Amino acid sequence: MASLLAQLESLSQAAARDIAAASDEKALEELRVRFLGKKGELSAVLRGMGALAAEERPKVGEVANRVRDQVESLLDGARERLAGARLEAELAGPPIDVTLAGRRPLPRGHRHPLTRAAEEIAAIFARLGYEVASGPEIELDWYNFEALNIPADHPARDMQDTFYVEEAALGGAHRSGSVLLRTHTSPVQIRAMKRLGKPPVRIICPGRVYRSDYDQTHSPMFHQVEGLCVDEHITFADLKGTLAAFARAYFGPGTRTRFRPSYFPFVEPGAEVDVSCSICGGSGRKDGKRCGTCKETGWLEVLGSGMVHPRVLENGGIDPSRYTGFAFGMGVERMAMLKYGIDDLRLFFENDLRFLRQF
Amino acid sequence: MRISLQWLSEYVELAGVSAEELARRLTAVGLEVEGLTRLGQGLEGVVAARILTSERHPNAEKLSVTTVDRGGGAPPLQVVCGARNYAVGDVVPLATVGSVLPGGQKIEKAKLRGVESSGMLCSARELGTDADASGLLILPGNVAPGTPIARALGLDDVLLEVNVTPNRPDCLSHIGVAREVAALLGREVRHPASRLAEAGAPAASLARVRIDAPERCARYAARVVEGVRIGPSPGWLARRLEACGVRSISNVVDATNYALLELGHPLHAFDLDKVAGAEIVVRTARPGEKLTTLDAKVRDLDPEDLLICDRDRGSALAGVMGGGDSEISAGTTRVLLESAWFAPAGIRRTSRRHGLKTEASYRFERGADQGMVVPALDRCAALIAELAGGTVRPGVVDAHPRPHQALEVRLRWSRPAALLGSPVPQVEARRILGGLGFAERAADAEGARFAVPSWRVDVSIEEDLVEELVRTQGYDRIPETLPAIAAATPLEPAEARTLARLREALEGAGFSEAVNFSFVSEPDLAPLRYDLEGRKVDGPAAIPLKNPISTDLGVMRTSLVPSLLRNAARNRAQRVDDVRLYEIARVYHPRAPGGAGDEPSAEGLRVAGVMAGRRAPPGWAVGGEAVDFYDAKAAVEALLEAAGVTGARWQSPGAGWLHPRHSARISAADGSVLGTVGELHPRVAAAFELPRGLLSFELSCEALARSGSLTPQHRAIPPFPAVLRDLALVVEEGIQAEAVLAAIRAEGLVEEAALFDVYRGAPLPAGRKSLAVAIRYRAPDRTLTDPEADAAHGRIVERLRSDPAVRGELRA
Repeated sequence: MASLLAQLESLSQAAARDIAAASDEKALEELRVRFLGKKGELSAVLRGMGALAAEERPKVGEVANRVRDQVESLLDGARERLAGARLEAELAGPPIDVTLAGRRPLPRGHRHPLTRAAEEIAAIFARLGYEVASGPEIELDWYNFEALNIPADHPARDMQDTFYVEEAALGGAHRSGSVLLRTHTSPVQIRAMKRLGKPPVRIICPGRVYRSDYDQTHSPMFHQVEGLCVDEHITFADLKGTLAAFARAYFGPGTRTRFRPSYFPFVEPGAEVDVSCSICGGSGRKDGKRCGTCKETGWLEVLGSGMVHPRVLENGGIDPSRYTGFAFGMGVERMAMLKYGIDDLRLFFENDLRFLRQF
Repeated sequence: MRISLQWLSEYVELAGVSAEELARRLTAVGLEVEGLTRLGQGLEGVVAARILTSERHPNAEKLSVTTVDRGGGAPPLQVVCGARNYAVGDVVPLATVGSVLPGGQKIEKAKLRGVESSGMLCSARELGTDADASGLLILPGNVAPGTPIARALGLDDVLLEVNVTPNRPDCLSHIGVAREVAALLGREVRHPASRLAEAGAPAASLARVRIDAPERCARYAARVVEGVRIGPSPGWLARRLEACGVRSISNVVDATNYALLELGHPLHAFDLDKVAGAEIVVRTARPGEKLTTLDAKVRDLDPEDLLICDRDRGSALAGVMGGGDSEISAGTTRVLLESAWFAPAGIRRTSRRHGLKTEASYRFERGADQGMVVPALDRCAALIAELAGGTVRPGVVDAHPRPHQALEVRLRWSRPAALLGSPVPQVEARRILGGLGFAERAADAEGARFAVPSWRVDVSIEEDLVEELVRTQGYDRIPETLPAIAAATPLEPAEARTLARLREALEGAGFSEAVNFSFVSEPDLAPLRYDLEGRKVDGPAAIPLKNPISTDLGVMRTSLVPSLLRNAARNRAQRVDDVRLYEIARVYHPRAPGGAGDEPSAEGLRVAGVMAGRRAPPGWAVGGEAVDFYDAKAAVEALLEAAGVTGARWQSPGAGWLHPRHSARISAADGSVLGTVGELHPRVAAAFELPRGLLSFELSCEALARSGSLTPQHRAIPPFPAVLRDLALVVEEGIQAEAVLAAIRAEGLVEEAALFDVYRGAPLPAGRKSLAVAIRYRAPDRTLTDPEADAAHGRIVERLRSDPAVRGELRA
């Protein structure tokens, strides 16, 4: 018995020594097998118990169990020590390359700058209570011209070079020259008034328009946003306030507006609206040089507007003796060019991804 | 309209107002000044100089050494000169040392072949005033040495380029602009005096006038000037015309143009000897009639064209252009001068019909001043007599079937405030309108009637008068307010919300937005409207334009795909190979027969996309594989999800322009077609010069909006646990996954079945594939037991075996 107890004692000491010296998990596992495994040293000691007297066995068994617990706890402690050391080493070790690109399978696509600009314009007017309206792009002469106080043979038609549609291809009974591609979004004014039936009317209409003109600064297709507000007691002052508020929202809080008399057949009185140059802040000079955007004038012409002509209200089914209204229109290309610093109209329609990806 | 300030100042005092200030104020009242040109700019250092001596250059045969008097008592200067067209005593331009000529040449003191030269004597070309470089510009002998050359040449003028809007033909003349200037400065208009001296036989005995179309010609007045001598115009007149962009032709023709630019009324001079019967008849053209116009073109006339005729035939296209036969020529001695008023619409139609836009037609189609017919005639006749000699015969031969009725418009004093939001006091309104020539007629407490001056063809209603007030006062005086309208909550149409979500979905899937023209070339659309066996796809042809920019932009798109294919090709040509583009736009079809509404065509909103290149840009972690059908399908699935469409069906094949084996049509649960997706048909790809393997899709936005719901509906999270089982099924290659999944889902306890692997190859025989499906069983009301799940699984295996659409065996 004494020899068994001595073996257990030396086993315990050897385990304590070797476990303390172990430098990694693998060494600890080997030590566990060596001391506590089925074929390990403790099992070998216990196999010697068979030769002991029955009353001696519990005594030795008790010691053996204590040694087993002791070794296991030493192993656990050593594992914890090693894991802690490893974590410390990891935390103190070299960093990963944080400059490598994130693991994103696909970059997001980009919204076209014209859509961005139109959405922003529409969102500003939505906050002012305007509803989005729409109308056809292949339009009747009546809506595009006649109803807007631009009769046939009127010189104002020269202001807009018109694309005409082959009416035979439309299937309906159309007079020659009576179907065209809308030259502006203004026909939506008439359609909206007729649809809504009675004021208040507050609509905004973004959309494609077409004019037969194609060079560096003209595109045969471009985009406009039209606005219309009709009710009792609507005045030019309301038009001024609305567009001034819009200009500040779109171009920035310091933006000033200037109204100049002009002629659009569907309004009376009519006005062109200039905003202070968004590039040079209205000074006409940028970085000590002439501002090319406003050509040193400090002003940018961006909107056409006016009080809705009584004949236009009538054509929309609204009584001009009771109601007044204002209308305005702007070119989305111009608004986008000013906002994003785009200097070439043609870029909008080339759909070069190197351009589109910038937005 | 180009306005000379020098000329303008004859009719209104401009003292104390700079050109820039005038330009600003004209713009402020609606006459936008788009350009301001100072003539003689760049000639500051050039003065008139008299040549005192001239000798041959000692060292150069072609040069001379001159001394010149540059005025101001300065000592004579020695100048070396290469020209020979002068004589001693001539006055010529001298560019002094330190000056810079318009061509950029800087004049410095120099030695030419050893002889000192202090300046340069100039030709017209060197001054930039003319192309003549043949010799020195010889000035009139009475020009004093030292006179700035700009003044000596009458170039001390400022030209304003005024953008006259179509409603203001009254401002297409110097007198018209002078009226505006006088009103805005509060000064008087000085009308040009016609020093008309009449003598001899009455005009009425020399010519007759008859109007057969009084609805087209309200008045025709003529004068006769006899004994004229055709010749060049004096320099001052030619210069004025040329400054305004009108070429000087001869004294008589120039007189009509001068009167036009001065008074705005078009006039025409006939050679009276070539007017058969000395008779003018105003009538419409006869069927088949022809006329040779001044530009030597023979014109086939339309019965609607208005003609000025003599006894025998047409001699001018009324209000548009004269005829060659009765043209003023070098030998003309007797002139019949026409001043008439033609109705605008007819002139415009004739001008457009013949593609002839002239100074005359431009004014008549906008509306000439009926009150100016006779004053302009008198003024021009006096000018002719002054410039070309001759005698004005007494009287006007005047046919005046439709006298002008001055319009009267009532202004209520309250109206400006109602329309502008800012009142205009009565006294101010009267002052402004009076200054602009509106005569007050009947006034009462509420308002007054104003007679519209004959030149203001744009004013006919009360709002027009309000505009006169506000444009004169300036919009600056109007305050800024916001409309007081009852608050409303505008509803965002469901379609708009769907569109926003579609954009989000595609951009999330890596697609960038394209914007293409709505018109394309017919050949680009053709492959999309025919199947590849040449059979026409159902549906009508594209709508053509009558006057396209070019045939490349000749028809309205019936599909967005051709434009996107062009975009893909363009990007690939720019070495951008990974292309993902989408567009949301309308397509245009003829309306269905008998369709209601007043929209001339059927416009539908589509969303379409193209993709080519790699699934993801090759990075250090992922990417590099080429996209295939399932990438395009993922984009469409993202669209369906964004639109809230559930239960969509995918069926092979897709549209005819897609690869018949690598494409699908997509329909909603109710069977309505949503769109198509797939690999581009190899032959279509070839037609667009694109490589194979490009993917494309096109769906109807309206159909997506109709079939989807943007509002999710909550279902309770199941309280009981699920049982999971996988199965692997071997089927024929041609069996589509959906058939297998449908058979599995037919079992009531199946909550979800998801296909997670497709395997082909050993040990499976060729032509067969294995589909691995994960099945989740769940009972809604209890915990499902394993035996129950096993039984359900067994039923599924049996169904897959017996279903004729599947005929699958469990994989061993």
